Amino acid sequence: MSQILSKVYQSMNIAVLERQSGSTFHLLTDAPKWLQHFCGSHIGVNQPLNLRGTFPFLDCFMEEAEEFWASKISTPQRSGAWIEFSPSGEEIPLEATVIWQNDQCLLIIQDLGEEYYNEVVRLQSFRDHSLTQESLQAEVEAQTKEIRSREEAIAMTLLTAAGHRDHETASHVRRIGLYAEVMAKSLDWNSSETADIRIAAPMHDIGKIGIPDRILLKPGKLDEQEFEIMKTHAAIGADMLSGTDIPLLKMASDIALCHHERWDGTGYPRGLAGKDIPESARIVTIVDVYDALVHKRVYKEASSEQSALKLMSQMVGKHFDPELFKVFLANLPTLNSIRMKHVEPVKA
Amino acid sequence: MIQKKICLLGAFAVGKTSLIVRYVDSLFSDKYHTTVGVKIDKKQLTVDDQDLTLMIWDLAGQDELTRVKTSYLRGVSGYIIVADVTRPHSLDIAINMHKETREFTGDVPFILALNKSDLTDKWLIDREAVEKLRQEGVTVINSSAKTGEGVEDIFEQLSHQMLESKSANTTKAAGN
Repeated sequence: MSQILSKVYQSMNIAVLERQSGSTFHLLTDAPKWLQHFCGSHIGVNQPLNLRGTFPFLDCFMEEAEEFWASKISTPQRSGAWIEFSPSGEEIPLEATVIWQNDQCLLIIQDLGEEYYNEVVRLQSFRDHSLTQESLQAEVEAQTKEIRSREEAIAMTLLTAAGHRDHETASHVRRIGLYAEVMAKSLDWNSSETADIRIAAPMHDIGKIGIPDRILLKPGKLDEQEFEIMKTHAAIGADMLSGTDIPLLKMASDIALCHHERWDGTGYPRGLAGKDIPESARIVTIVDVYDALVHKRVYKEASSEQSALKLMSQMVGKHFDPELFKVFLANLPTLNSIRMKHVEPVKA
Repeated sequence: MIQKKICLLGAFAVGKTSLIVRYVDSLFSDKYHTTVGVKIDKKQLTVDDQDLTLMIWDLAGQDELTRVKTSYLRGVSGYIIVADVTRPHSLDIAINMHKETREFTGDVPFILALNKSDLTDKWLIDREAVEKLRQEGVTVINSSAKTGEGVEDIFEQLSHQMLESKSANTTKAAGN
C-alpha cells in the first residue's frame, strides 16, 4: 500500500481489512488507535485478526456482509453507525462498510469522529423542534377538545329546552349525535367532521320551535293542512342554522333541511333522491327512526329491537340509503351500548 | 450461560435509552439526548433459576429522518416497544413498528412499555387502545425510567418469556 494511501487512511481513522476465512481478516492498513483499544496494541499490517466477539454489532452485520460478498455486488454496503466504548469509557462512533473489489472481500471500519457528532447535533436540533411542535399540537388539540365539549354542552342544553315542548328528552338528542358519530367514524369521515356531526345531528328537529303548539302538541293524527305546516319545520330549522361559514352549522342546516328526505325521492321538503341528499342527513334519518322506534313516547310503547329492525329493513331503498343501512347494522352493538348508557330518565 | 439479544424500539424521545441506563446503571437524567446509531449494553440476570446475559440493543428512535434498519433485528430473541404516555402519536408509531418488526422476526416475545408513566397529569395516550392491546394478549407494562417503576419488570418479564418460548421450542423439536 502506498505511503500516501496509508497516510490518508490514518488521517481518516480507517482500518481496511481483507476477509480471509470466516471471521478472520488481514489488516491492510496500520491499526488506528481505536482498533488497538479493542484488539491490542501489537496488531499491525498484514497480521491476521479474528474479530468475532470483539464488536457484537459487527458480528450481526457480518451475516449481512457475507450475503453481500456472495452476491459480488460492487456498490459498497454500509452498516450504519454504532457506538463502542474504549476501556477508559471514551465513546467511539464506528461504521463498517463492506466492498467486493477484484475478488477481494473487504471490510472497512471507520471512526466517524466529528462527522458523527455533527449528525447528532443535527438530529438533536430536528427532534427538539419536533418535540416542541408535537407538544404545541397536543395543546391545540386539548384546547379544541375543550371548546368542542363546551359547544356541545351549550347546544345540548338549548336543544333540550327547545325539545321540551314536544317532550323530546335530553337523552334522545344526545343519543342521535352519538349514533351519528359512530356511523361517520365507520364511514372514515375525518375527525373534525365526525366531531361536527355529533353536535349537528341533535339539531335536526330544531325547526319545531316554529310550529304552533296546537299542531306540535296535538294528541291525534294531523289533518292534511296541519301536516303541511308540520313539514315546514325542516326548512325553518335549516333557515335558523344557515347564514354562517361555520362547518358545524352548515352541516346542521343540511341535516335539519334533509332529514325527512327519502332515498326514493318521496320525502320532503324538496323531494331529493339518492345521493342528492347529503350523507349527514341520510345518516340521521336512519338513527332517528331507530331511536324513535326502540324508545317509549307519550303516543306509543317502545318496540323491541327485533321488531324495530324488521320494520326498518322494509324501509331500505325507499326511506333509507341501502349502503348506509348496512353500516348501521354493522355498528348495532356499539349503538346498543350507547343506548344502554344514555337511557331515558324515569319520570316520577 | 445463555445469551439473548433484545432490541428497544419506538419513536424518538420516548425514553428507550433512559430505560436501559436505569436498568443497567441505575441512573437517570431527564435531559433528552438523541441516540444516533446503535448502542449495545450487556446485563446479567437470573430468571427462573437460569443465568442469562442480555445483549440490549438501543436503536435510534424513529422519525421522518430515521428509519430502523431491519437488519439490526437479525438474531433477536425478543424486543421491547416503547411509547411515551404523554405523546399519543408515539403509541401509533409503537404499534406500527411492532407490526413491521413482527414481519421480520416472526413470533418472538415482546413487551409494550408505556414509559414516563410517573407523569400522571400529562397522560394523553388512548387508554382504550391500550386496553384493547392487553385484551389481544400484549404484555403492557407502565414504566418510568425516572422513578424506576416497572423497569426491572420489563426486562425480567421479557427474559422469562424468551426462556419460556425457548423451552417450548425445544419441547416441540424433541417431539418431532
